[in-house]
Amino acid sequence: MNQQSHLAAEFTRRVLDLREADFAAEVERASGANLAACLQCGKCSSGCPVSARSSLRPHVLVRLVQLGQRDEVLASRFIWECTSCQTCTTRCPQKVDIAAMNDALRRMSREAAKVFGETTVPVFNDIFLRTIRRLGRMYEMGLMTSYKLRTGRLMADVDKFPMMLAKGKLALLPKKVRGAAERKKLFENVRRAGGKKP
Amino acid sequence: MSYVFFPGCSLEGTARDFHQSTMAVADALGLALPEIPDWICCGSTAAHQSDPLLALALPAKSLAAAGGKTVVACCAACYSRLKTANHEISKNAATRRKVAEALGHDYDGKTPVAHLLEVLVRDVGLAAIAARVKRPLEGLKVACYYGCLLSRPPEVTNFDDPENPMLMDAVCKAAGATPLDWPHKTECCGASYSITDPGIVLDLTREILAMARIAGADCIVTACPLCQLNLDMRQKDIEAKFGEAYGLPIFYFTQLLGLAMGLAPKTLGLKSLVVDPMPLLAANGVV
Repeated sequence: MNQQSHLAAEFTRRVLDLREADFAAEVERASGANLAACLQCGKCSSGCPVSARSSLRPHVLVRLVQLGQRDEVLASRFIWECTSCQTCTTRCPQKVDIAAMNDALRRMSREAAKVFGETTVPVFNDIFLRTIRRLGRMYEMGLMTSYKLRTGRLMADVDKFPMMLAKGKLALLPKKVRGAAERKKLFENVRRAGGKKP
Repeated sequence: MSYVFFPGCSLEGTARDFHQSTMAVADALGLALPEIPDWICCGSTAAHQSDPLLALALPAKSLAAAGGKTVVACCAACYSRLKTANHEISKNAATRRKVAEALGHDYDGKTPVAHLLEVLVRDVGLAAIAARVKRPLEGLKVACYYGCLLSRPPEVTNFDDPENPMLMDAVCKAAGATPLDWPHKTECCGASYSITDPGIVLDLTREILAMARIAGADCIVTACPLCQLNLDMRQKDIEAKFGEAYGLPIFYFTQLLGLAMGLAPKTLGLKSLVVDPMPLLAANGVV
């Protein structure tokens, strides 16, 4: 079988596999992105700031989702390298919201426990959101300390701290924001809406 | 028109100079910017990557507390999250209902949101700004860098041309500077990956700095705390990794405008900049 007919056969097999096709529908539901509209023109990938360094590119990722490649997509490094810059979404001639798709894929990757091993983005996001729930606003010193402890990256950017302190770029103490009970309730309500225990 | 201010978390931390210079300029222009009482974090990237409802409910909480006045933001990321919340909530009744359940009250998604650049150009007006300029920044060649989230996606932010925004260029021109035509106005700096994946930020900021230098810029002007911090603080790391020294001062647009309006450098937080801007400003007769 030559390469082309091999690909055609593979394509048919995948499209006909309903269980795999479910994945595309699931991503579409979770993101609101109309992935079936993608023409594979590659405009998203030519503007993507991390295309050059990444193993995948946005239009390839869309194709993999269409083809139901759940494991490859959810375990990919690319979804944790996407900077959410919205260039793909802005330039897509078919109005496919690829940035929203990536948000959905990151959530699905975490739920399926498939997160690419070397990324620390989920740890960072969790600490960030916990800080907001507790304090109402970001507290950079606390965020950095927790992040370093959780990831073991103790020495990363330590040279920046004295400089940032000297230049008044770091608040030593968090600001006090009223409404702690209301905030707690908001986070609980959101968790409940997502079907999780508040 | 009356406004309320949503400073965002960075303006209380790494970007206190943006806060300071914003207040100084607003004061001099007679713009009152009282803060939204007990505003909370917009949730930023962490929220929209984690939970779509949380990503709308957090900004909606602050927007609902704005009392219907126009909310002014300085941080491009806050601006994007506030605008996105309004966009999603106002166009979709089911989303509005879900957000209301999370908040414990309804929010219609209609509190107007503007970036300070929009307020300066559209409400204050370039002629009024130019009239306040005492020390025009003549001969200063500036590369206006907008980053990602002010102009993208245009359906949500409705800020300016998404590929070639001009609002900051117009403000810099009113301040007497020479804004350059250059191609990296809206390229991404890598934003919060500065902490989790700094290699991305080094690659992307290096490209932006290189292009600004090729375009002949004396400095880069920014409108976002993450853009500013990455471009300013990472120059040393870029030098260590790639052996390229840029030495380009990275200003907030409010700092340059303040200087042009004759405000004292110390009221504009210039000391917080990592790359020292004073030699450039002195050479151009600004300070």
